[in-house]
Amino acid sequence: MTEKLARNEYLKEASRYLRGTLAEGLANDVTGEISEDDQQLVKFHGMYLQDERDLRAERTRKKLEKAFSFMIRVRIPGGVTTPQQWLAMDEIGRIYANGTLRLTTRETFQFHGVIKSNAKAAIQRLDSVLLDTIAACGDVNRNVLSASNPHQSGTHQAAYELAKNISDHLLPRTGAYREIWLDGEKIAGGEETAEVIEPIYGHTYLPRKFKTVVAVPPQNDVDIYAHDLGFIAILGEDGQLQGWNVTVGGGMGMTHGNTETFPRTANVLGFCKPDDALKFAEAVLTTQRDWGDRTNRAHARVKYTVETRGVDAWREEVGKRAGVPFEPARPFSFTGTGDRFGWTEGEDGRSHLTLFIQNGRIKDVPGGAQMMTGLRRIAEIHDGEFRMTSNQNVIVANVSPEKRAQIEQLVAEHGLTSEASAIRRNAMACVALPTCGLALAESERYLPSLITLFEERLNALGLGEEEIIVRMTGCPNGCARPYLAEIGFVGTGPGRYNLYLGAAFNGERLSKLYLKDVTEEEALEALQPLFEDFAANRQSGEHFSDFVIRQGYVAATTNGPDFHVNTGPQRLAAAQ
Amino acid sequence: MTYRPIPSTAPFSEEDITLLNRVIAPSSPIQRAWLAGFLAGLDAQAGGGAQAAQPARASKTSEPLTILFATESGNAEKLAADAAKAARKKGFKPNIVDMADLTPEDLTKAKKLLVIAATWGEGDPPSRVVHTYEMLMGDTAPRVDGLQFSVLSLGDTAYVDFCAIGRNIDERLEALGGTRVADRVDCDLDFAAPAAGWIESTLEIIAPAQTADAGHVIEVDFGARQAVVPDAPAELEVVDHINLNSSRSDKETIHLALGFEDEMAYEPGDALDIYPLNEPALAEEILNATGHAGNDVLRDELIRDRDITTLSVKTLEKFAAAIGDKDVQALIAGGHARDWIAGRQLIDLVTAHPVKLSVEQIFDITRPLAPRAYSIASSRKEFEDEVHVLVAAVRYETHGRQRMGVTSSYIADRLKKGASVRAKLKPNKHFRLPEPDRDVIMIGPGTGVAPFRAFVQERRAIAASGRNWLFFGDRQFTHDFLYQLEWQEALADGSLARMDVAFSRDAPQKVYVQDRMWHRRTDLVDWLEGGAKFYVCGDAKNMARDVRATLVKAFADVKALSAENAEAAVRALEAEKRYLQDVY
Ligand code: SRM
Ligand SMILES: Cc1cc2nc3c(=O)[nH]c(=O)nc-3n(C[C@H](O)[C@H](O)[C@H](O)COP(=O)(O)OP(=O)(O)OC[C@H]3O[C@@H](n4cnc5c(N)ncnc54)[C@H](O)[C@@H]3O)c2cc1C
Ligand SMILES: Cc1cc2nc3c(=O)[nH]c(=O)nc-3n(C[C@H](O)[C@H](O)[C@H](O)COP(=O)(O)O)c2cc1C
Ligand code: SF4
Repeated sequence: MTEKLARNEYLKEASRYLRGTLAEGLANDVTGEISEDDQQLVKFHGMYLQDERDLRAERTRKKLEKAFSFMIRVRIPGGVTTPQQWLAMDEIGRIYANGTLRLTTRETFQFHGVIKSNAKAAIQRLDSVLLDTIAACGDVNRNVLSASNPHQSGTHQAAYELAKNISDHLLPRTGAYREIWLDGEKIAGGEETAEVIEPIYGHTYLPRKFKTVVAVPPQNDVDIYAHDLGFIAILGEDGQLQGWNVTVGGGMGMTHGNTETFPRTANVLGFCKPDDALKFAEAVLTTQRDWGDRTNRAHARVKYTVETRGVDAWREEVGKRAGVPFEPARPFSFTGTGDRFGWTEGEDGRSHLTLFIQNGRIKDVPGGAQMMTGLRRIAEIHDGEFRMTSNQNVIVANVSPEKRAQIEQLVAEHGLTSEASAIRRNAMACVALPTCGLALAESERYLPSLITLFEERLNALGLGEEEIIVRMTGCPNGCARPYLAEIGFVGTGPGRYNLYLGAAFNGERLSKLYLKDVTEEEALEALQPLFEDFAANRQSGEHFSDFVIRQGYVAATTNGPDFHVNTGPQRLAAAQ
Repeated sequence: MTYRPIPSTAPFSEEDITLLNRVIAPSSPIQRAWLAGFLAGLDAQAGGGAQAAQPARASKTSEPLTILFATESGNAEKLAADAAKAARKKGFKPNIVDMADLTPEDLTKAKKLLVIAATWGEGDPPSRVVHTYEMLMGDTAPRVDGLQFSVLSLGDTAYVDFCAIGRNIDERLEALGGTRVADRVDCDLDFAAPAAGWIESTLEIIAPAQTADAGHVIEVDFGARQAVVPDAPAELEVVDHINLNSSRSDKETIHLALGFEDEMAYEPGDALDIYPLNEPALAEEILNATGHAGNDVLRDELIRDRDITTLSVKTLEKFAAAIGDKDVQALIAGGHARDWIAGRQLIDLVTAHPVKLSVEQIFDITRPLAPRAYSIASSRKEFEDEVHVLVAAVRYETHGRQRMGVTSSYIADRLKKGASVRAKLKPNKHFRLPEPDRDVIMIGPGTGVAPFRAFVQERRAIAASGRNWLFFGDRQFTHDFLYQLEWQEALADGSLARMDVAFSRDAPQKVYVQDRMWHRRTDLVDWLEGGAKFYVCGDAKNMARDVRATLVKAFADVKALSAENAEAAVRALEAEKRYLQDVY
C-alpha cells in the first residue's frame, strides 16, 4: 500500500468479515459500551452505539458511565411490512426500546434506547418475523427505497420488486450477523477466500455508505437525486414498464467550513432494460468499490468519485462491467417530492391511506394522539400492508373495501390523521438530539414549534395552503435532505442554523446558503419580506423556491461544485 | 493441631481468638492465675470500685452459669457480656454461648441459664441462629428438667410480632421441663435500662448460695448500672451527598460521606448508627392535633428525641387510657387494634381523634427516637477520616398519606453538604473480611452492596491476594447501577476479579442476583470448595432466602448431591462461618 488508507479500511480488513470482538463486547454486562472498533463494525449490523445526551451532565458525578444504548435500524426494502411485522416492531419499541418507533427518511424503522443487554433479544424478535438489520448502516449498499405512493399499482409493484431484488442481491454474505445475533453456528471466518465469502464486496466492502432508490415518475418522493444509485421507471404510452433510467452520484452530506465537501444531485447515466437492472446495480457498486477513495472518508462517496472520474468514464465503465452498454436516457419528469395524504384508490379496487406522522416519531402522547396504540390496533385487523415513505410518513396500503370503515374508525379514535397545514405536512426534521452523537442543534424536538410560527405568518399573508417544503437537520450531514428543501435549516450550534433557500420543489436543484448562524427571530425576520413579496408578486403556479431565485434573493445552484459559490443574500448585495 | 484453650465459641472475633490463643496456649499456670485475678479486678473497678477478687478462691466457689444470646446486630451479644460481668461479681462462673453454636449437650449440661434473644424479620430469629432455633423448637430438642432459666427479649414495638422469639424460647424452655426463675422482660428499642434491671434482679434470684459468704465475692452496687445511658453519638460533618440514581430513575439512593475529627476506628463490615431528626412539618401537625400549636420547646423535643411515627398496639392502649376515647377503646376491646394500625402512624391516630394531650401524655404515648443502622461503605485505608454510607430513600403511600422513612428521608431530603449529623459506630464482628489470601464472594443487590464497597477498598489497599467476586443487582442498568464507574475501575485494577449484575426492570423477564448465581453455579461451587467466604447483604425478606436456596440448588446440581446433602453442604459453610449474612 503506497497511500495511507483511512483507519476504517484496516479495521474492516482485520474484522474477519465484520466479526471483530462484538461477541465478547456484548458479553461484558458491566458496561453498556463496546470497543471503538466494534462501534464502527456494529454499523454494518444495523446498529449505532449512542448515549442519551440530555443525561451527560449528571452521569459522572453520580458515578455512572454515559447512558449508552443502541439505535437499531431495520432493513425493509421498499419500506413494505406486513401487519404481523408491524406488531413485532411495536412490541420491540415498547419492550426493548424507548417506547417509540421512528420512521426514517429512508422508508424504515429505527429503535432508540435499546441497551446492550437487550440488543440480541430485539434482533431475534425481528428475525422471528423474517426481518433483519444487516447492512441497514455501514459501508455497504443500504436499505433500498422504492416509490411508495401505490396508486399506480402495476408500476409500483415492479419498483418494489426491483428494490427488493437489489437489496437482497447486494447484501453482505458474511455469517457474522447470524453468528453474533442469532446464535447461528460459527463458520470460521477468514479460512475461505473473499471470493467465496463476499463475492461482490470482497473483504473490505465499500469505501463508504452506498444508497440506492427506485422512483416512479411523476412522484419523486424518494428524492432520487440525493442518492448514490437510482432507477427511474420509464413507462410507455400503454403505461407498461419499458425499463429504467439509471442515476449515480447523489448525496447530501458535507462539513461546515470545508468547501471540498458538498451536497450533489445525481446524474442520469442512461437507460436499461428491466432484465438488466440488477446487472447495472452490481456494476455501479463494484465500480465504486474499486474507484472510490479509500484514503479519505470525507471524500469517499460515489458523488466524489463521479466528480473525479467524470460521468462519461462512469457510463462506459458501468456498461462494461454490466456486459451491456447503456441505451440513451429516456425522457421523464417529476412534479414533486411530497406524499399524497389521505385515501387514494388503487387500480385493483383496494385503497390506501397515507397518514401524517410528524417527523416520523410514532408514540402515544399523554393526553394527546395515541399513534403507537392506534397503529397497533390497525395492524391487528389490517389485511393489506404498511408502507413507510421517504417523507417519514406511513401508508396503510391495500385496504380491502370491507376493512376501510373499521380503519377509518380506529384512525379517528386514536387521533391519527392525514391532516396538517400545507407547510407542516411538507416538513421534515432529522432525529438530532438527544440521541444523535453528531447533532450540533435541535431538530426533531424543535421543528414543530418553528413550523407553528411559520403557519401564523403564512396564514396572515393568505399563503396558508401554499405547499412550501421546509426541512431541518441538526448538523450538515443532511439526514432530512435539507439542501433539497425550498427552505432548509442546518444546525451550526445550540439554537443556531444556517438558512438555505432555492432548492427545486421537485428535487432536481440544490439550494443555496442564504444566511449563516441565524437564531429563530433572525430567520423569521429575514424570511418575512420574502413571504410578503411572494404573496404579492408570485406568478401563477410558481413555487417559493423558483420565486426567490427569479426575484434574485438568492443564486441558483447548478450542482455540487458550485454549491458554495455566490452564497448569501444576492439582492441586498446588489442594492448596496 | 496446636492446643487452643480459648474455644471458637468465645465471645470474641476469630482474629481475637487466634491472638488470645497465641498468648494463652504457651502460658504457665502462674501466668494464667495472675491474668484471671487481674481481669476480675478490672471488672470489679468497672462495677463500682470494690477491691479485686481473689481469683483462686473465687473460682473455687463460683458456680457455672450459661448465658445464651441470639443476635443479629449485636445488642443481645453486648448485653450477654454485661450480664457475664455482673454474674462474675455475684460469684458465678459465666459461660457465654452464641445460640448459633448451641448444641443439645450445652443445654442438657446447663443448670442455670440466662437467655437474651432478639427478634428479626417478621417475628423471625436472627439469621445466624435459625438452625439452632429450629432444633430447640423441634422434636430433637433435649429435655431440660431442673434447668433454672430466665429470658430477656429484644424487639421493637413497631413490629406486629413484638419480641416473638424471646417469648417462644421462654415458653419452649418451660415446656421442655425448665423452671422459670424470673419473668421474661420484653424490651423495646430503648432496651438499656430494662435490660440492666432484668440482669440485676434475675442474678439476685438465682445467685449461688455461697454468696452469703462475703469473703468470696465482690458486692457490686448496680445502681450505676440501672441508669445506663448508651455512650453518646458523635457529631459528623456531611462532606458529600449524592443521589446515585439517574434523574430518570424512580429510586433514590444517597451516597453519604461523613467526615470525623476524633478517631472512629471502624472496620469493613461494621455499621453506623445514624440519629435522625423528624420531619418538622410532621411534628407541627402532631402539635396542632394535640393542642400544642406554637410550643417550640416541645416541637424541638419531638423532632429530635421522640419517635412520632411508629404506631403500635401499645401506643393505642396508652392513648385510649390517657383520653378515655370510646372509639379507640372499642377498637381494642373488639380486637381490631392490629388491623387498624396496619400501615398507619401516630399522626393518623391523633388526627382521627384530635384531643388536647398533656406534654406528659405525649411523652407517654411516644417512645425515644431510635437511630437507624447503615452498613459502612468505605475503608479507612482509602478514606482516612471519612465514613461512607449508602441510603435508600423509603417513600410509600398508605391510607391516602404520603409516608417517608424518618432517617432515610432526613438524609435524602434534609441533609446537605456541610450539615452535621449525629452518628455512632455499630461494630459487627460477625461480618469481617477473612485472611488476605482467601477468596471472597459477595452478594449485594441494592444498598446491600455498601459493605462490599468497603471490602473491595480494604483489600485493594492491603493488596490482598485473594480474589473478590461481586454480584450486584437493581432495577435498571442505565439508571440504578450504584457505583458503576468504581466497579469498572476495580475490575480494571484487579481489586475485583469478577462481577455479575442482574437488573430486574430492563426486560420482560426479571433477572435477580440469584439467577446470575445459578448461571455461574459451577464457578461458585468451585470457588467455595477452594475455601472462598460467601457474604450476603441487603434485603432479608426475599433476597437472602432466595440466595441461600439457590446456593443449595447449585451444590445439588454441580456436585450431583441429594437435596439433603446439598443443604448439609451449605450448613457446613454456615457452621464454619464461611456463609455470612448482614441482612435487614
Ligand atoms: C434516521 C435518519 C434521519 C431521520 O430523521 O430519518 C438518519 C440518522 C442518522 N444519520 Fe443520516 N440518517 C438518515 C438519512 C440520511 C440521509 C437521507 C437519505 O439518505 O436520503 C442522508 C443524506 C444523504 C447522504 O447519504 O448523503 C444522511 C446522511 C448522513 C451522514 C453524511 C453522509 C455523507 O457521506 O456525507 C452521516 C454521517 C456519516 O455518515 O459520517 C449520517 C449519520 C447518521 C447517524 C447514524 C449519526 C451517526 O452517524 O452517529 C444518525 C442517527 C441519529 C439517530 O439518533 O437516529 N447520516 N442520512 C435517516 C435514516 C435513514 C435510513 O433509514 O437509513
Ligand atoms: C444492620 C443493618 C444495616 C443496614 N444497612 C442499610 C444500608 O446500608 N442502607 C440502607 O438504606 N438501609 C440500611 N438498613 C436499613 C435502615 O437501618 C433503615 O431501616 C431504613 O433506612 C429505613 O429507616 P427509616 O428511618 O428511613 O424508615 P422508618 O421511619 O424506620 O420506616 C421504615 C418502616 O416503614 C414501613 N414501610 C417501609 N416501606 C413500606 C411500604 N412500601 N409499605 C408500607 N410500609 C412500609 C415499614 O414498617 C418499615 O419498617 C440497615 C439496617 C440494619 C439493621
Ligand atoms: C429488619 C429488622 C426486623 C426486625 N423485626 C422485628 C420483629 O419482627 N419483632 C421485633 O420485636 N423486633 C424486630 N426488630 C427489632 C430488633 O429485634 C431490635 O433492633 C433488637 O435490638 C436487635 O437486637 P440484636 O442487635 O441483638 O440483633 C427488627 C429489626 C430490624 C432491623
Ligand atoms: S443530520 Fe446530523 S444531527 Fe441530524 S440525524 Fe443526521 S447526523 Fe444527526
